[in-house]
Amino acid sequence: MAKINVKLTVNGIQHELTVDEKETLMEILRDRLHLTGTKNACAYGACGACTVVMNNEAVRSCIVKPDKYNEKVVLTIEGISEGFDLHPIQEAFIEAGAIQCGYCTPGFVMSLYALFNSNLNATDEEIKEVLEKHICRCTGYEFIWDAAKLAQKKLQDKSNP
Amino acid sequence: MEFNQIRKSLPRTDALEKVKGKATYVGDIKLPGMLYAKILRSEYAHAKIISIDTSEAEIMTGVRKVVTGKDCKILFGACIKDQPPLAIDKVRHAGEGVAAVIAETERQAEDAAKKIKVEYDPLPFVTDPLEAFKEDAPIIHDQNLEYCRVPGFNPKEGTNIFHHYKQTKGDTEKGFKDSEVIVEEEFYYPLLSHVQMEPHGCIACWDSENSVRIWAGTQAPFIVREIVGQMFEIPLSNIKVQVPYLGGGFGGKSDVSIEPMVAYISRFVPHHPVRLILTRKEVFTSSLLGRGMKGTIKVGAKKDGQLVALKAALYYSDGAYGDTGCNVVTASGFVATGPYEYEHCDIDCYGLYTNTPPVGAYRGYGHPEAHLMSERVMNILARKLGMTQAALMKKNFLCDGKTNAVGQVIRKGNGDIYQCLDEVEKALFTSSKPQENDDYYYGRGIAGFMKTPMMLPNASSGAIIKMCEDGTYNVSISGIEMGQGCQTAMTQIAAEALKISAEKIRISKEVDTQFSPYEWQTVGSITTLRAGNAILQAADRAIQKIKESVAMIAHKPVEDLKYEGEWVRSKSDKNFEFETKLLALSYLSPDGHGVGEPIETTGHYYIPGVKFPAPVTGGGDCCGSWTFGCEGAEVKVSKKTGEVTVLHMAIAIDLGRLINPMGARGQMVGGMMMGYGAALMEEVLFNDKGIMKNPNYNKYKVPKLSHIPEKLTVKFIETPDETGPFGARCIAEHPAISIPPAILNAIQDATGVDLFEIPVKPKDLLAKTGGNHNGKN
Repeated sequence: MAKINVKLTVNGIQHELTVDEKETLMEILRDRLHLTGTKNACAYGACGACTVVMNNEAVRSCIVKPDKYNEKVVLTIEGISEGFDLHPIQEAFIEAGAIQCGYCTPGFVMSLYALFNSNLNATDEEIKEVLEKHICRCTGYEFIWDAAKLAQKKLQDKSNP
Repeated sequence: MEFNQIRKSLPRTDALEKVKGKATYVGDIKLPGMLYAKILRSEYAHAKIISIDTSEAEIMTGVRKVVTGKDCKILFGACIKDQPPLAIDKVRHAGEGVAAVIAETERQAEDAAKKIKVEYDPLPFVTDPLEAFKEDAPIIHDQNLEYCRVPGFNPKEGTNIFHHYKQTKGDTEKGFKDSEVIVEEEFYYPLLSHVQMEPHGCIACWDSENSVRIWAGTQAPFIVREIVGQMFEIPLSNIKVQVPYLGGGFGGKSDVSIEPMVAYISRFVPHHPVRLILTRKEVFTSSLLGRGMKGTIKVGAKKDGQLVALKAALYYSDGAYGDTGCNVVTASGFVATGPYEYEHCDIDCYGLYTNTPPVGAYRGYGHPEAHLMSERVMNILARKLGMTQAALMKKNFLCDGKTNAVGQVIRKGNGDIYQCLDEVEKALFTSSKPQENDDYYYGRGIAGFMKTPMMLPNASSGAIIKMCEDGTYNVSISGIEMGQGCQTAMTQIAAEALKISAEKIRISKEVDTQFSPYEWQTVGSITTLRAGNAILQAADRAIQKIKESVAMIAHKPVEDLKYEGEWVRSKSDKNFEFETKLLALSYLSPDGHGVGEPIETTGHYYIPGVKFPAPVTGGGDCCGSWTFGCEGAEVKVSKKTGEVTVLHMAIAIDLGRLINPMGARGQMVGGMMMGYGAALMEEVLFNDKGIMKNPNYNKYKVPKLSHIPEKLTVKFIETPDETGPFGARCIAEHPAISIPPAILNAIQDATGVDLFEIPVKPKDLLAKTGGNHNGKN
């Protein structure tokens, strides 16, 4: 299998790696960098559990190949809050009761992170469009929707104190 | 009763780790020297294995070992030992493991597995339960009768029936003669996939010939321990099964799934942890499926709506191995009546070997299949009698003093289903139904449910309570946290019992069979009831110890002491108080001697009086707990496409005592959406070769955000159960039970079309409504 040299920045840290041509961003994050908050649930881009933010856009890391992540800046669930702190989206997920088994949670959080970062005043339709790309088998989505709205409010309040 | 720690939406104990991406699941674990396994799987539904050539795979880069089932003498199972860890002489479903490659990386293992050559001799196959029931059906297990099994399972020689559960009450023949109105229908509940977000995973490492460590994504670490112990005839005490967080279970990770296989193959490379994480496709084809029932039901009633007799037969497609499904078959028989009293019952439930993946527990455990029949039939019968369905239900509900089909008398403390129905009716029928228009039919439907947890009579839960020197507590249970929120609920129950703030309790987050208390398995929605009671016993014992120590220290009689959490006070002496935390490690007196014992206690609970079903009637005290409730749905049906949109789903459940309102609502909504998926979307399909057609998220669709109805109603009734902790009873599976019949009843109300199969297919419904015009009949 052909090997490729790639450079990428993950959660602010630069990495230079030699990877297999088939090695996905999810594999790099989980297996090489031990950032296991990015979850593997389908490995073909259908469920959203592995979503991370790459150059400010939400991507399904399980289908991102080396030529796509080379020279990119990646943010994972481990990188959105410092130390013991929580990002407002993370706070909202706890407060709204949006977490059950937790396996889909990082993906939902990262998709909303990308959305609100680019458009803090996203409409309900725009938020729904983003959440529709994810599967959660536990919650029935009601509290995930509540968490998304609460997160938006928290972020809006923070940007206009 | 006043409560301080329960009936509050305290945040989940596991939320922080999960939202930070720091909660560990089995696939996140890396161990020194770990090797990776991939499984070569059968492409045939049913075939003899002629030969397996592994020579090419063995010399591939990184390959440590290739394992096949050749020479394997092991058959495992919790109730029926009918399953080999890898196929031995034949494969019984497409997706069954035929060979395993263990290599240094997952990719190496995968590449090598492709080099294994297997020669098969295909055999006729069967995936449909009624076909499998026929006398001339291909026989999937020649040894059906020979398998080692626990008592209570009834196979039939020379057939695919590995278990026939029969239940009788009264004289059904006479009952139908006495009936004035009879309804008889056939139903189909397809096979479903649980679709837990976390794929099944297991790591096993043999430290010596009779000692193994296992890390597994399982709901049942103690069952894994038992089965692995039996497989290799090694001491159970030498088997260490650890469970980190579980990314969803829904029954599909209960009893055992892939753990026996991983234990088997890892034994060929001792001292190396061997990891197998299923792909999403393998979760569909090679773990467990759920449901899969074809059934008939006949009910007879008097003209006034009094139910008289019921005859039902349920045929389960239970897949290649019967062990996982055998108890589901029995459980469905316990509730084939639905939540109603019949004088005469005759119920046959058949577990059938079929050439599909093994079928096991799935949220509801036989109850959704039974209720699809019972609750649809109530709807049909009510119309035939010219009554409302609600009136018919109310006339026949099982309630205080009535006797259910297995012969148990229902107590007031089992819950009030009348109030549940009232709440659902109020939610659904208070506003007027939208008028049918050019585009849509509108309808509303209701369905009741009752649920009992299926278990061994001695299935128990344990708890350990340890006080720390600062007055905080470590509480250990072995209920698996798989999303249902048991850690949080148990924390609240412990805090309430110990009369301290929940913040002072740290519940154990991982389960380890060598350190954690015994727990049969986390199934049947029973953790709150059983582990909750175990905590109460441990807390009572801790409080007793605390009082005894204070009595010794203060020279007061135990009866004079009042335990108030952080302090112990005297009933007779207002000035006396003693700080509880001073007793944690036993009391160190000022003059330098120890008094009393450290505050460390255990508690256990199993539901007393539960027995195996009686041999002839299939009844008796075989059910340990009952929960009652009602569900409802409001739908619109497109006249152009037949598409069903659910506008409102409602549930009212008598849960005895609310522990965590937000957590309970999360369970109800999640469960209703699972019922929604079953009613309208989900179905495992096989092609003409018996190979699964839709083993992926793109073809097996599950509900997404856009499917949530505009309105969700969740009502909790609290009739305390005298056997439950603070009155609480089982609730987690329940919301998934009766949403499908409620939706089908609503579709009938909307269109006049009676449906007997799920998922509802818009094209079929459109055709039945007479196409794009008003087809109301």
